[in-house]
Order: sequence, then C-alpha cells, then structure tokens
Amino acid sequence: MQSIINSILKKRNLIIYVILSLITFNSLYTNSSVHYSGIEKTATYLSGKSSIFSSYINSYFNLRNKNQILIEENLQLKKIEYKYNSQNIESNSLESESLNTANIILNSINKSKNIIVIDKGILGGINEEMGVITSFGVVGIIKSVTDNYASIISLLNTDLKVNAILKNSSTIGSITWDGLNSKSLKLNDIPLSSSLKIGDTIVTGGMSFYFPKGIPIGSITNYDNSSLEGYYDIDVEVFNDFSSLSSVYVLERTDNEEIKTLLND
Amino acid sequence: MTRELIKTGFFYISILVSQLLIFNHFNLFEIITPSVYLIIFILYKTSYNKTVLIFLGFITGLIIDLSMQTYGCHTFATITICFLRERIIKNSFGVNANLPLAMIKGTQIINRLTFFILIILIHSSIFYSLVFFNVEVLGKIFYYTLINSIVTFIIIWVLSQLISKK
Repeated sequence: MQSIINSILKKRNLIIYVILSLITFNSLYTNSSVHYSGIEKTATYLSGKSSIFSSYINSYFNLRNKNQILIEENLQLKKIEYKYNSQNIESNSLESESLNTANIILNSINKSKNIIVIDKGILGGINEEMGVITSFGVVGIIKSVTDNYASIISLLNTDLKVNAILKNSSTIGSITWDGLNSKSLKLNDIPLSSSLKIGDTIVTGGMSFYFPKGIPIGSITNYDNSSLEGYYDIDVEVFNDFSSLSSVYVLERTDNEEIKTLLND
Repeated sequence: MTRELIKTGFFYISILVSQLLIFNHFNLFEIITPSVYLIIFILYKTSYNKTVLIFLGFITGLIIDLSMQTYGCHTFATITICFLRERIIKNSFGVNANLPLAMIKGTQIINRLTFFILIILIHSSIFYSLVFFNVEVLGKIFYYTLINSIVTFIIIWVLSQLISKK
C-alpha cells in the first residue's frame, strides 16, 4: 500500500497534469461549438477505426466456427445438388446417397501409397468402403475404421483404381496414379477410337460401390495416341489440391449391401 | 522568504494585469496577440515547487481564457509548458540547469535563447492548434504560431533583460 502511495506521489505532477487537461478539454467540449464538433468527429473516427480493428481480431478468432458453419452449409448444398442431379439423369441410385463431414488430421502426398486419416469413425457414421470427396472432387475411399477415426486410401495411392468416364463422351476408363506427380493422374483404358481433347473433364463413372456418377476428378492436360495397344496414354490434372485438404465429405451408399447380396447370389 | 514571496506575487499580478489590460487588446494586424504572461513561467525559479507551477499555470490560463473567451486553449497550452518545463530546462541548459537564475543570467546566451524560444514556440503551437482545431488550416496555424512567437519572444526577452539588470 505504501509503495502504491509512493509511486502515486512520485508521478503526482503527471496525474495533476492529466486531470487539469481533462478539465480543460471538458470546458472546450461543452463551451465551444467548433471544438465540440471537432472532438465529436475525432471520437467517431477513433471509435470507427477501433471497431474495425476489434472486428478483425474477432473474425480471426471466429474463423474455426465460421469454417464449421461453411462446411455444414456446403454439406446441405451438396445434398441439394445430388438430388437435383439424380432428377436430371433419372437415376434413383443417387437418392440413396447420404453425406457426412469430417476433418483431416493426417495426410501425406510424398509416398507411393498415401493414406489420409480423418477424425470420424464408426461412432460418427463412417464405415469401410465409403467414398470420400470434397467440393472439388474425389479424394479416395475409406480403408479401415475405428470408433473415432478412419483411414482413407487417397487417389494418390498406386493401389487405388477408380472407375471414370469422359464427361463429354461417356467413354469408360479408370483412374490410377503412377506415384510420380501429386497433381497428375493417369486415365487408362480409353480406346483410340474415342475422341478427346485437352481440357476435357473426367468424372466418376458410377460403376462402383463407392462413388455415384458425375463426381469431378480432373481434366486432361496431355494425351498420347501412339500406343500400340490401342489405348490412349492420358495425363489428368486432378482438381483437388491434396497438399491443402482440410475437410472432406464421406459418401454413404445405402444400397451397397443390397447390390453386394445380389452379386453374391 | 516572506519578502521574496511578496515580490514574486507582485510580479505575477502585475504581469497578469498587463496581459489582461494591454496585451490581450494588442491585436496587431488582427493576427498578433503576444502572450507576455509566459514570462511568469519562464522566470519561475527552479528551486520552487513544480506542482505549484502546474496549478499556477492552470489558474493563469483560466483567467486569460475567461477574459479572451478562448474556452481553455490558453489553459491547456500553459499547463503543458508548465509540465514540460523541467525537461525543456534540462535540454536547454544541460549541466547548468540547477542554477537559481539560469533563465536570466550566469548562463550562455544561446542556452537562454533556446529555453525562451522552446517555451514560447511550444505554447503558441498548442494554443493555435486548439484555436483553429482543423488540420486543413495547418498553414494558417504555422503562420500564426510563427508571427506570434516572434513578437512574444521579443517582448519577453526585453522584459527579462530589464529584470536582470535590476
């Protein structure tokens, strides 16, 4: 207490100066219209600037929540998009899709067999062999699940082969990764008789248990028609940037079991 | 001590009265109104209490504001120079800052000039900034500050020389 009193006494001139200055400014503010409007203007300017600054800080700290809200919103839009697409192509298989969101907690792109781990598992409604996508396109397929986590075989995995078609001509092929460039995939099994051009979009073919028809994969960047086997050698630039994935949608096809039962019979 | 106090009080009152009755009505070319009362704060002895100086500045500024209807511009400028006076003295006089009559004799003339000019310029710039209170008339603020500072300086310098001779 004594030290506080001492420090106040030590700074008494400054304290007195500040108090007297405030009295003076109050006198200016109340008695002079010029100063009144000037101080009002300054106060408005300062409060405006400080509000902008504080809103910047608040928005930065709310980014995680905003991101979550956007993911949820995107999920709803995806559902609407699927419903719309299913009505357009007159297929009821897509109506049996349901979406689930998950955040990526582990990702790699520098191996030949890349695996992604997400923060949802059986308890979050995730099961094996579900397709995983983002707003940009295909990511991979669920490989294994625990109660709270699931691993995904990424498109950047040399073991994965995804059924794909040329969007314009509906020629069926398959997408694989050669393990070299994380931005480039290979489209195989497209016969030389098919017409294609650079920039053509590749989408999922729908002939698998994992993905419905029409989910984007990438676009053709280069092709070689000099193969003796009768098939193109096509390079596809993948739409997803696998190095910056943060959240994904997991597709659940409710009719998978029924189809599998049919195949087993 | 009592005699010195009476002398100081008389000096203070006579300067204040001359400011109120003469210099406040100077208004030369409708620009120049010298703030001669600043001599009180220039010649205030370093051995006197600094807190008293700030209160003295407040009261003096208030009286002049009331007479000139400047609503507190003089008061704020005056208490600011009273508050900053110690630093200005140290910057102007250096090691001789503690000499009792440093402001009028016994020190280099350049030190005294610096001290006088700093006090007057700081006061005038604060005063005219508050009077105009508008960034758009910055040129006018500089002009008024400069002209009034020169005239104030001349009057105060002459007065201080007269006092030092006495």
